[in-house]
Amino acid sequence: MNERAQPLQAPGKSENRETPFSLPVLADGSRARLVTLFGRIGPEGQRRVRYVFDKGEPDYFVTEIAADAPLASIVSQAPAAAWFEREMHDQYGFEIRKHPDLRPLVFHGNWPDNVHAMVDDVTDVPWAQRDYQFLQVQGEGITEVAVGPVHAGIIEPGHFRFSVVGDTVLHLELRHFYTHKGTEKLFEGRTAGDGVMLAESVSGDNCFAHAVAYCQAVENACPASLPARAAALRLIGLELERLVCHVSDFGGLCTDVGFIVGAALATRIKEDLLQASARCCGTRYWRGVAVPGGLRLDLDLAAVARLTRSVEESVREFRDLAHVVLETPSIQNRFEGAGILKKNVARDLAVVGVVARASGVNLDVRRDHPSGHYELVQMTVPVLHYGDVMARARIRVEEVSVSARLIRETADALPPGPVRAPVQFTAAVSGASAVESPRGELYYWIEGRDDRLTRCHIKSPSFQNWPAMPFAVVENMIADFPLINKSFNLSYSGCDR
Amino acid sequence: MILDVIQRSLRRPSRLIPVEALMESCEGSRMPDVQPERLTVDIASRVSAVCPTGALATEDRKGRSCLRLSYGHCIGCGRCVEVGEGALVPAARFRWTGLEKEQLVRRWDLSRRVEIAAETSEPDAVRGRVQKLLGRALNIRQLDTGSCNGCEAEISALTNPYYDLERWGIHFVASPKHADMLLVTGPVTRNMADAVRATYEAVPAPKLVVAVGACGCSGGLFAGSHAVVGAVDAVIPVDRYIPGCPPSPAMLLSGILEVLGRRHLK
Repeated sequence: MNERAQPLQAPGKSENRETPFSLPVLADGSRARLVTLFGRIGPEGQRRVRYVFDKGEPDYFVTEIAADAPLASIVSQAPAAAWFEREMHDQYGFEIRKHPDLRPLVFHGNWPDNVHAMVDDVTDVPWAQRDYQFLQVQGEGITEVAVGPVHAGIIEPGHFRFSVVGDTVLHLELRHFYTHKGTEKLFEGRTAGDGVMLAESVSGDNCFAHAVAYCQAVENACPASLPARAAALRLIGLELERLVCHVSDFGGLCTDVGFIVGAALATRIKEDLLQASARCCGTRYWRGVAVPGGLRLDLDLAAVARLTRSVEESVREFRDLAHVVLETPSIQNRFEGAGILKKNVARDLAVVGVVARASGVNLDVRRDHPSGHYELVQMTVPVLHYGDVMARARIRVEEVSVSARLIRETADALPPGPVRAPVQFTAAVSGASAVESPRGELYYWIEGRDDRLTRCHIKSPSFQNWPAMPFAVVENMIADFPLINKSFNLSYSGCDR
Repeated sequence: MILDVIQRSLRRPSRLIPVEALMESCEGSRMPDVQPERLTVDIASRVSAVCPTGALATEDRKGRSCLRLSYGHCIGCGRCVEVGEGALVPAARFRWTGLEKEQLVRRWDLSRRVEIAAETSEPDAVRGRVQKLLGRALNIRQLDTGSCNGCEAEISALTNPYYDLERWGIHFVASPKHADMLLVTGPVTRNMADAVRATYEAVPAPKLVVAVGACGCSGGLFAGSHAVVGAVDAVIPVDRYIPGCPPSPAMLLSGILEVLGRRHLK
């Protein structure tokens, strides 16, 4: 996947006019899907905003504008831009006009108003006390239920504010970014080789997808040619990560409806896959395997054969389990019709991954914007239209089979040769990359100079999908919230970074 | 139907890993170990230079130069193994889990090429009583203070049929008010600091606090970030530490049992 940079648009003439921005429109009149938008500072201190869209072509459509004059919010044209613009406002302090809700997103009450982490000095930032106003739903019989940030389980922190009437949810507001670690800023000044460890620590259960997306961005920036064997082994790692994640999510759905046999069997199958990884490459989650230019270790034929045998065995067991679980009437009763995300909402909020495909949005980076070994494989993308918990469960079950097939076919025809090529930034460079992580489209953009990173932007699928989750919860009973939330399976740390 | 699944499952041999095989196991954790007979001054300075978190460093101790390895800082990136010419190797056994902070540090004398024995500390009488009180059936409340979810994934694995934490009478509970132990992961972010203090206060005394993972023990890669306060002990008192990035389920289990003084009991 490459990106085509478009010529810069002229900035607004007077200080009081907002810089205009019109969204790219497709041939059928619909608007292009927003992939990400983010701020950056050019080498001479120029303030810039970079917009990335998907126009249904193999290359992403990229455009950049100057942010010296106030920016016009694009939320009214692309509702998906709401959190992106809020984050940019927090990080850079760019003035954004006509945004419906510019409350602080990334930092909570402890952070002073006038400090913007990506541009200001952030050593010893004082502790502040800022108020935060949740949206209040008023009326007879309406109560608020506050959940989090510390949840009742082995789960990441985040806050949910429900407004309910009896059992029924009228409104749900998210307040996240409790796990915000300033990761994008931490990339700055690191070498390209050091950055990969940070990428692996963005979302712990999707660490290989993050590592590969980061490495590909560096490779596209250089540009380096990735050895064919490394590309094929990366595909095996990415699909294995998807298997582990989908099996785990399916078990989680069983847990949340009290179907303990299914949950226990799913955790066992997941552990089988992790142990197979540990035997094959010394790491359960493929941490430390990807490096810019390829892979740190090669897998011999015997190791790959053992791994594929374990995968086939696990997938067979999983399919048996999934068949039984999804045919059980009490499960169908809970899964069907729960947490419906309508297709128009999914489109407006530019939702990605399993959640999009369960709501009738036919998207998959592996097929639409292939890179590495994905350019060489044929794959089917399962799509369902109901948008409920059952649809998201079924998509995962189907994708497990697709991933298993991709692993087997790639392992059977593994190209020979080296697994690592040298990579070195020479001058000022930038590069982008997209990977279909288990949660959906993951996009990295890096910029560097003399082997040091100057900017790294991470668009995680969770950041894009979280704002859609409340739309699936509204009108359901509050007791179904854990189930609906699990069926989305979004990462808090991946979103918060 | 479901009965078939249960029947098939029952026909298989048990997956439970026996306790002897779990203790000191670290498969898949990528923790390093040192082969002292191969260690040279040159190798020591080279591995210290490539270490991204300062887990490896050369230092002067009582007039002798030595290599220092702090497992609490180690993220298992494997770079030291790459450049260590056989002096640094992936650990085969690992017993530095569930200990106090200073006990996670090992040192090797570079001229004599031997490990310097750790100074033994006095056993803590109060802690002994707490262990006795809590040792039999332990309730753990897991607390994520900003982790990447890697440690959570491995902690969840403790309840699967391979590790089955419940065989020791240890349970995860939903409320800090029901807990004896806080198992804390992640660097503490600015946004979580207040919630971490409140959760600690909500656990009734006597309580144990165990910091988990490189980030929990030392801040890991996130130490020094503007959005992070620091390691867990920068915000609440911590009794013991379980290193790793993330620690494998076996390391977590040995660590928890070590804290309880039950590592050698069945």
